Amino acid sequence: MRHPIVFLLAALAAVVAFGPWAPAAAQDVRPPANATQHVQPTPGGPGIEAAPPATMRYPSITGQWGEIVDGERGYVSIPDKKAGRLIQTQGMDWLSWRSEEVRRYGAYAVAAMLIALTGFFAVKGRVKVDSGLSGRLIQRFKTHEIIGHWLTAGSFLLLALTGTWLLFGRPLLMPVLGADGYALTAEISKYMHNFGGFVFMAGLLYIFLVWVRHNLWDRYDFNWIIKAGGFLAKNSHPPADKFNFGQKTVFWMVVLLGLALSVTGLNLLMPFWFVDEIELMQWSQIVHAGLGMGMFALMLAHIYIGSVGMEHAFKAMSTGWVDINWAREHHSVWVDKYVAGNNPERRGESRPPTDGEQAHGHRSAAE
Amino acid sequence: MLVKKRSGSANGPHILSTLSAAVGGAIDRRTFLRRSGIAAGGAALAAALPVGAVRQAQAAGPAAPAGKIEMRKTVCTHCSVGCTVEAEVVNGVWVGQEPGYDSPFNLGAHCAKGASVREHAHGERRLKHPMKLEGGKWKKISWDEAVNEVGDRLLKIREANGPDSVFWLGSAKHNNEQAYLIRKFAALWGTNNIDHQARICHSTTVAGVANTWGYGAMTNSYNDIHNSKLIFLIGGNPAEAHPVAMQHMLHAKEKTKAKFIVADPRFTRTAARADEYMRFRPGTDVALIWGILWHVLDNGWEDKEYIRRRVYGFEDIRAEVAKWTPEEVERVTGVPGAQVKRVAQLMASNKPGTLIWCMGGTQHSNGNNNTRAYCILQLALGNMGVSGGGTNIFRGHDNVQGATDFGVVADSLPGYYGLAEGSWKHWARVWGLDYDYLLSRFHSKEMMEATGIPVSRWIDGVLEPAENLEQPESLKGMVFWGHAPNSQTRLPEMKQAMEKLDTLVIIDPYPTVASVLSDRTDGVYLLPAATQFETYGSATASNRSLQWREKVIEPLFESLPDHVIMYKFAKKFGFADELVKNIQVNGEEPVIEDITREFNKGMWTIGYTGQSPERLKEHMKYQHTFDKTTLRAVGGPLDGEYYGLPWPCWGTPEMRHTGSANLYDTSIPVAQGGMGFRARFGVERNGTNLLAEDSWPVGSEIEDGYPEFTMAMLKKLGWDKDLTDDERKAIEAVGGDSANWKTDLSGGIQRVAIAHGCAPYGNAKARTVVWTFPDPVPLHREPLYTPRRDLVADYPTYEDKTFWRVPTMYASIQKNDFSKDFPLILTSGRLVEYEGGGDETRSNPWLAELQQDMFAEVNPYDANNAGIRNGADLWLHGPNGGKVLVKALVTERVGRGVVFMPFHFGGVFQGKSLRDKYPQGADPIVLGESSNTAQTYGYDSVTQMQETKATLCRIEAA
Amino acid sequence: MGKMVFLCDGDRCIECNACVTACKNENEVPWGINRRRVVTLDDGTPGEKSLSVACMHCSDAPCVNVCPTNVIYHTNDGVVLHNKDGCIGCGYCFYACPFGAPQYPQEGNFGSRGKMDKCTFCNGGPEETFSQAEYTKYGRNRLAEGKLPLCAEMCSTKALLAGDANEVSDIYRQRVVERGFDSGAYGFSQSFGQQQKL
Repeated sequence: MRHPIVFLLAALAAVVAFGPWAPAAAQDVRPPANATQHVQPTPGGPGIEAAPPATMRYPSITGQWGEIVDGERGYVSIPDKKAGRLIQTQGMDWLSWRSEEVRRYGAYAVAAMLIALTGFFAVKGRVKVDSGLSGRLIQRFKTHEIIGHWLTAGSFLLLALTGTWLLFGRPLLMPVLGADGYALTAEISKYMHNFGGFVFMAGLLYIFLVWVRHNLWDRYDFNWIIKAGGFLAKNSHPPADKFNFGQKTVFWMVVLLGLALSVTGLNLLMPFWFVDEIELMQWSQIVHAGLGMGMFALMLAHIYIGSVGMEHAFKAMSTGWVDINWAREHHSVWVDKYVAGNNPERRGESRPPTDGEQAHGHRSAAE
Repeated sequence: MLVKKRSGSANGPHILSTLSAAVGGAIDRRTFLRRSGIAAGGAALAAALPVGAVRQAQAAGPAAPAGKIEMRKTVCTHCSVGCTVEAEVVNGVWVGQEPGYDSPFNLGAHCAKGASVREHAHGERRLKHPMKLEGGKWKKISWDEAVNEVGDRLLKIREANGPDSVFWLGSAKHNNEQAYLIRKFAALWGTNNIDHQARICHSTTVAGVANTWGYGAMTNSYNDIHNSKLIFLIGGNPAEAHPVAMQHMLHAKEKTKAKFIVADPRFTRTAARADEYMRFRPGTDVALIWGILWHVLDNGWEDKEYIRRRVYGFEDIRAEVAKWTPEEVERVTGVPGAQVKRVAQLMASNKPGTLIWCMGGTQHSNGNNNTRAYCILQLALGNMGVSGGGTNIFRGHDNVQGATDFGVVADSLPGYYGLAEGSWKHWARVWGLDYDYLLSRFHSKEMMEATGIPVSRWIDGVLEPAENLEQPESLKGMVFWGHAPNSQTRLPEMKQAMEKLDTLVIIDPYPTVASVLSDRTDGVYLLPAATQFETYGSATASNRSLQWREKVIEPLFESLPDHVIMYKFAKKFGFADELVKNIQVNGEEPVIEDITREFNKGMWTIGYTGQSPERLKEHMKYQHTFDKTTLRAVGGPLDGEYYGLPWPCWGTPEMRHTGSANLYDTSIPVAQGGMGFRARFGVERNGTNLLAEDSWPVGSEIEDGYPEFTMAMLKKLGWDKDLTDDERKAIEAVGGDSANWKTDLSGGIQRVAIAHGCAPYGNAKARTVVWTFPDPVPLHREPLYTPRRDLVADYPTYEDKTFWRVPTMYASIQKNDFSKDFPLILTSGRLVEYEGGGDETRSNPWLAELQQDMFAEVNPYDANNAGIRNGADLWLHGPNGGKVLVKALVTERVGRGVVFMPFHFGGVFQGKSLRDKYPQGADPIVLGESSNTAQTYGYDSVTQMQETKATLCRIEAA
Repeated sequence: MGKMVFLCDGDRCIECNACVTACKNENEVPWGINRRRVVTLDDGTPGEKSLSVACMHCSDAPCVNVCPTNVIYHTNDGVVLHNKDGCIGCGYCFYACPFGAPQYPQEGNFGSRGKMDKCTFCNGGPEETFSQAEYTKYGRNRLAEGKLPLCAEMCSTKALLAGDANEVSDIYRQRVVERGFDSGAYGFSQSFGQQQKL
């Protein structure tokens, strides 16, 4: 490990990957005084999926409920006709999915991404601006685009954080914070998640409208794909317009995943407003949490490449002004158009070109 | 935060200490209710209940926190089962409700309504103070203003149009004392225009049954059903109307293996629990019963010996029943012949069997025929006067039996004494008033002895021109004293009638539909009455048992108990002294116990004389000593008495008669509740003996039939020497030899007769032929609005006639064919969550939440034909021009061609909500169309019962 | 140690809703929350059967398992209770519950859920027994008073039984035996056959 960041990422990956299972034994940190049978089957352990509702352990009750078909609906006089459903056993499946698969594979996804990024960083180091910085700045993003991005990104980070807080809190955080402490943070998380969702949806809609025309695939993309964005060879910089294929992929992933999360999220936020079936609520939850974890992992890569992973990249979303050399390496077509259009330029910091090999790692540490 | 104390270890600051600190006055009732969190520890019930209730699975020990929790025992006010309610009261606030496990009637059980009666103490939607309608707006007024203004207006009507122009509409929600007092009140006002819900509930039962064997009431009891081998239920749905009764019926079904047969046009919740369900066409009860009886007679399954000894006129019945061959029965009723035969077989081979009916049987233009047909079937099977048999007629309201007994009816004084001169004189003696004074209160002697207008017809009493009425003037003033007008048919006409009235007075805990139905802008008064939880007194359950209610809480808001309001008006009208001559008055409240004692002195006919307040209170106190099946106390201070002293409880309280659990039971001595049939119809008719033959209650010194007891008869028997001097004096005072068991105010004649093992009312045969009725032998007659035009010629209705002071149409309606435009049969019934017109129960959020929409049940066949989907809105039109907008409940529960609506809704009229017409804050939570907006004309030929169970309608998608 | 259970005898239940209003009464349950409900199967047709449903206080309760804040727990009596203070109204217990027992007041943002409410077996909650807080949040603590849940105590036909599992099943077994002899001979009591297997 040559770099503190490497260590940090690796450690985080380990925690995420093994966290949910590590403290399983310590789950009941503070059982109520008379909570004697605090049964919590270990996820993945025998029984959850197979077990019928636990009451059926009593033969007398089996007699009554045994005849009732799962999902059978009866008449109820109250307006909530959902209440006419006597038994839904797929809640047990949902429970198992939520407690096991979503947690496990979500954690795997994030951990795998962290490991991959750590490895990538360890091997490849930071992507430099090969041709150095010219000190000539051009405007890559206008202020409204930057605001749109950060609305989406910021709210997503909040949602990802609060979402995982709720998903992993009981096994991971409750032992640390205590039941009451965690409950308080969970409640706050829920509210932040509920309100943050609307900010995210607004941001998502905005960046979609602003950037969709730049994210339609064009003739440069094939070449970009063939060259894997230039990552395979040194000093290879396949041409691209305002967004290269990799960025377009991120864009569409964000849009599509974001849409799916928004739809399922709204459904969860307003239970039974849009659907009548509890199955759809359960599916919404699983899809929401699963895709959320997936998007979390994906966004880690995006964050990596936009910050630590590539020199100068962050400028694009901080000031909006980037060095023309950096731009030429990644978005040559766009730069040509920009220059040809006599667009404004500014002066910025300059730096001579360097040998990437030499600077690897050490430079960034010095920065 | 997560520290949960182990159950049972109660300690720490108790809620009561918080309370006692707060009780200084700052705490309001609502806060208090919300804060209440405790209850006295219920004593663990040792014995398992017969029906297997689970109690105290693990009596966890120290519960009872010290505190001023008072347990008050009262009786649910929602139906006639008479479930005991145990109220926990802390500092005058009703904080909790416990199951009344000791009560033999309910054994702790309740239905939705009974389990929610504590909501009365919240009373958020109650009528809170007297109000009057002025310029279309409700205006708050004081009680004094209210009594003065209403009093002046009614006196003005009396002055101008005579006493018969005011209608006093009493209530089955009165307790016995209030019911008795309001009948007296109407007498002192000078009219027989007084009536109550029984008219539209079981009036045909009372008339039909009383004219068959003497008394018009449930003959046995809910508990006695435990002994039945067969339960035949027709036109009733106890699962919704009397759920706690179902406990006893299911008990019989499970423990004694009773066969449970339900005959009903609807596959009710009750039918779902039955062994055999017969679906028949509404309005064909007589045909169905004769169809069953045809098989019984055809096979010789009737109890011939029983009929010989105890039944009169059976040959006439044979002749009529012979016409009802299986084919004809199927043609008229729609029931397959094989099923009728199977049921007849079951009934013949499972004895004793009980026969139960409710309003499905009574609410017909030939309702009196239905009720008599049921009785005759039971007589033929020999099921009368035996434990496990009988006609168990489930009454509706909590005290409809009592209110009927106390004569809140247009055709009788208290105790079914009637309105003849002798009856008036009897009650004048009891009341300590001059007969001539009473007479002076009336328009004339003729009006004094003429039956009044029944509640079902008050509309016509207003709308008909005076010359069509058999009274001097039409009705000008209407006093609704605890009555929901939406429980009556023909609401569009009622609206007109209300608008035509001079004065409309509503005395009720809730504003009721009466306050919003009409478009009046003036002359409507709302006076808040207290519920029965805010006063005390006795109430008679369906099985004739009296139960004493304790006052749970003080009247809420400005409401007053009915008897206080009566006293206020009596003062205004100038007959207060006469009203309470024998009754002490505290402030303005006549003392309830004194009223009880007064009616104890006059109600000889039906044996309401032995139930003194003291005895009734003891019965409540020692509830647990009564057997849950026989209702007889086993040991204890009340050993041998029946719970609630079911009437007839003969003689004076000092005689300590046990009450009579099962009527007409000759297997026990009269002193212990035995008796034969009542000798009410003379001793012979056309040369045939009407008295019992070779049948008498055990221990009778007269081993034969005998007429009712008179002084002359005592002398003849030589038993008069058993009379005490006081008794003899009292008998002389009422006419010596002509004095009889009904008029002897000392109870001496009754006492002596019983001492010799004889029933004071005689020992006669039941009569199957009621020669005083339009149809002496019960006949099937098609409803006025019938879909079966092919049967009208064979089974026509009656000719038009004028009776009960109003012209009444029969044939002139039936001759029109409505079935083309209105092809479906419309019937109505109850929901468990609501009661009656529903104003009270729809104002209770715990109940209202459970039924939020008025609906009509439609068979899928008819729904699809009309293009109506389940849950959609539909318009239901009635042939009288009324229409309702309701939700469709498409269900096989009703047969093809039949539509059912519950009758508890109100506050929406022909599609328009009347919510903004209620006084603010007193509108019921749930409003809905009243089924009776679409219900039609049609009245029983004897009692003017409305015909709601078989009319016609048309449905259209809305 | 006892294990508290509910049992609803489908051959007795007549959908009278006494259990529902008794619950409302005893615990002052607000409008819209139905800790207990009665469901009628095959409504209006032969075979119609009603069952009263509330929290079944499962010994292996999915809600206990799923709750993100771990506020649902068992008492010594096997009653499933929850701590409303820690409830975040996520609704997961409702998704997991086979019987649809958890209820939520509509008081959260965007019409979403407030704190979960459900049947407590008339055993209050984690607040101090008999305290005002316990009553306000959870309702009465009858069990601590030595009484059973009011819904079962007030059941009109004694269909709903509550109490120790052994006693409840004894009573039910006894009923089944009593019914057994002539069941099936008439009409709609087809469920007898199945019950005899017990």
